[in-house]
Amino acid sequence: MNEILKLTNIRKEFHSSSSTKPIVAVDNISLSLSKGKTLGIVGESGSGKSTLARVMLRLIEPTSGSIEFNGVDLISQKSADLRKLRSQMQMIFQDPMSSLDPRMSVRDLIREPLDIHKVSDSKTRNQMVESYADKVGIAKAALDKFPHEFSGGQRQRISIARAVINGPALIIADEPVSALDLSIQAQILNLLKDLKQELSLSFVFISHDLSVIKYFADEVAVMYLGNIVESAPTKVLFDSPAHPYTQALISAIPQIELGNKVERIILSGDIPNPANPPSGCHFHPRCPIAIDNCASLAPSLSSINSSHQVSCNLVQVRA
Amino acid sequence: MVRYVLTRILQAILILLGVSFITFLLLYILPADPAVQIAGRSATPETVASIRAELGLDQPLFVQYLDYMANLLQGDLGRSYLQKTEVGSLIMSRIGPSLSLMFFAILIELLIGLSAGIIAAINRGKIWDKLFMVLSFIAVSAPQFIVSILMLYVFAVKLGWFPIGGYGDPIDYVLPALTLGLLGSGWYSRVMRSSMLEVMRQDYIRTARAKGAPLTRIVRVHAVKNAVLPIVAMIGLDIGIFMGGIVVVESVFGWPGIGQLAWQAIQRVDIPIIMGVTLVSAVAIVLGNLIADLIAPFVDPRIKLK
Amino acid sequence: MSTFKRIFKRKSALIAASFIILIFVCAIFAPLIAPASPTEQFKDGLTIQGAPIAPGDQYLLGTDLLGRDLLSRLIYGARTSLIIGILANGIAVLLGTSIGLIAGYLRGRVGSLIMRITDLMMAFPALLLAITLAAIFSPSLLIVALVIAMVNWVQIARVVYTQTIAIAEREFVLAARGLGATNRKILTRHIFPHLLPTVLVYATLGISTTVLLEATLSFLGIGVRPPTPSWGNIIFENQTYFITAPWLVFIPGVAIILLALAFNLLGDVLRDELDPTQRGNS
Repeated sequence: MNEILKLTNIRKEFHSSSSTKPIVAVDNISLSLSKGKTLGIVGESGSGKSTLARVMLRLIEPTSGSIEFNGVDLISQKSADLRKLRSQMQMIFQDPMSSLDPRMSVRDLIREPLDIHKVSDSKTRNQMVESYADKVGIAKAALDKFPHEFSGGQRQRISIARAVINGPALIIADEPVSALDLSIQAQILNLLKDLKQELSLSFVFISHDLSVIKYFADEVAVMYLGNIVESAPTKVLFDSPAHPYTQALISAIPQIELGNKVERIILSGDIPNPANPPSGCHFHPRCPIAIDNCASLAPSLSSINSSHQVSCNLVQVRA
Repeated sequence: MVRYVLTRILQAILILLGVSFITFLLLYILPADPAVQIAGRSATPETVASIRAELGLDQPLFVQYLDYMANLLQGDLGRSYLQKTEVGSLIMSRIGPSLSLMFFAILIELLIGLSAGIIAAINRGKIWDKLFMVLSFIAVSAPQFIVSILMLYVFAVKLGWFPIGGYGDPIDYVLPALTLGLLGSGWYSRVMRSSMLEVMRQDYIRTARAKGAPLTRIVRVHAVKNAVLPIVAMIGLDIGIFMGGIVVVESVFGWPGIGQLAWQAIQRVDIPIIMGVTLVSAVAIVLGNLIADLIAPFVDPRIKLK
Repeated sequence: MSTFKRIFKRKSALIAASFIILIFVCAIFAPLIAPASPTEQFKDGLTIQGAPIAPGDQYLLGTDLLGRDLLSRLIYGARTSLIIGILANGIAVLLGTSIGLIAGYLRGRVGSLIMRITDLMMAFPALLLAITLAAIFSPSLLIVALVIAMVNWVQIARVVYTQTIAIAEREFVLAARGLGATNRKILTRHIFPHLLPTVLVYATLGISTTVLLEATLSFLGIGVRPPTPSWGNIIFENQTYFITAPWLVFIPGVAIILLALAFNLLGDVLRDELDPTQRGNS
């Protein structure tokens, strides 16, 4: 069993009290991640990627679909068993201020996973806290301080220490650097990369920033309004993007390299409201190559070649 | 809008049902056997048993509740143990004085409270503001019954300005209504003050002042008109607060309302009367809240409907 | 805690706290402080006509209708009033916080149901409900305290309910769940510490309410029964002497007012310091 995470036909609907129609945050997503690999998920806000992240760990219940972690079906797990499994799959949140309890000291925060799962004894736990704090770059003297006394980057380091201390196999990072200054972003990304190597972690890395994804991920899945519209290994995606949305996103990356001048594709309109998605292919109102058929026919993921999948009416025709 | 009104009314009805059920339960769990109480100490077991049957006390809980509800809806609140009169008619005969006292008390609360709130807001940070805030704090914290006693002593006994008890002449109203009014004004003055402050911060007020509005008075008129809005809903809630103190206030001032009725019933442990007054008060509170909730969105367009 | 220092920098809090401590001292050391027994009826405690004696050299605060020393009764009365006030408030806070916490954390149907019940309880005027309960059940100190608690737990429950919902929605709670924490751990380790300031504020304010309620019930004759003194029942017993011996009503009355003011003041200051969102909300 080489797949550490496998999602099949995941769908998540939210019901609001003001309307009878549910909001579909995640429409129909299937993906799989091999051990030791990093899957990057790209999407703008409103694409459903944060919801997907939480569903992956069953922090939110999916409306339908199945989640397999290391071959174990998460949906059928009872709460007690699910809780035990949690030590193996951890999440790093986007906003390090709100995901750390302001009333707990950093030491207690980092130690919490060990306390919850009753790892060893108190003395060993404290030693582990100090060792991991050091690993992520938090000084031992700072351990008795509180989250608000730290900078954003440091808080994220604390969150990372918290996530990895109990030896998980899978980390889901939901926009881990988006809230940080650019210079700090690089530091944190490097920290994650080092830890990935040292602790043999598998990663799901979610971001709206393509350059970050390019740096970090082995494979990429592009999300739009609750669906995956393209997935491929990183190099393939960036060299030959097939879906018009992906192409537009890539063209928008600031180009520093001289010579290769890419025509910037500008999409019309804004991302639609998930409560009222467009008919047929959700992307058709903004798509530069949409034809009449796209308004009524919703495409599904199909393979261009062994590792490259696209969901587009026109690409299918081409292939 | 219609939906909101209907929902609120439905809620009120449900709460009234719940209130009646709790009242019934309280009656049901009385350790004292009402049949024995009515029959008297020297009654024979047969008499007691027949009274029980007559009162329907040997029926199962649910049946008793239905009987109770049926009676309730016809206005029958049971019979006083000792007076042999119907609780319902007793309450009806005494509710007049209570209602009129409540009316005048709220009137005075508003007069004093709103004025104090406005003055405090205009003089923010200065002497008047601080003074009124201290006074309103005391008014809000001080226990009603003790202040009533003190007021009675100072103004009726010592100074002799007002009669000590009694009911019938307008002058009898003054001391009780004034006491309640002063105490209750604390609440209103605080709300009015913060409401005024919030309104005066608004741009349209600032613009008027910047344009050199003829008199601060005009600004005050605008401000007051808008600041008063949240107060309107509070009046409905005030009914509940009034009901809360009615027993003590009426007993201190010798006011012949339902509060004093309850006070007398307490002395004789006449449970049906106490229950009757409690039930009527609860109904008044629910209705007061309902009116407050229904008026509020009309009067204050800022209030969002749920 | 630096907040402690901040709180007591405020003059009002200092005054309030001092008064409260004074009353507490009276209550705890009553046998040592009181000049006489609260129940002893002195032969020279009444005038020749059988009326109470005014405050003076012999009896600092005068005597009551049975010739007992008012000062002693007042001091012992502090004990009764505080015991019931704190006991009743403690039960109310415990009950209200637990119920509010559970309702707020579980939400859904259970939460709504519990909140509907509190709505229902709030329809009854507290005093009348307390009177009803006190009239139904035979009086004893414990029953009086329980009755008061029954009437008072509702407000705390509602506040705790709203706060719990707000706290439970915060991301660090989700993060804790993500770590695999049990509900119980989340409630104790994460949610309750954030509730603590609010609970403290309402606990302090609540003592004012319970003390007043006890005084009122005793004043009506259905609270603490004489000869055990409570500030409320001293007024109750001596009401007939209201005009001729006003000190018997004034002095306990003023004492009650001051105690209520003190707790309210302290609670207000606490609220300003600990929960800035509720400032100015009386």
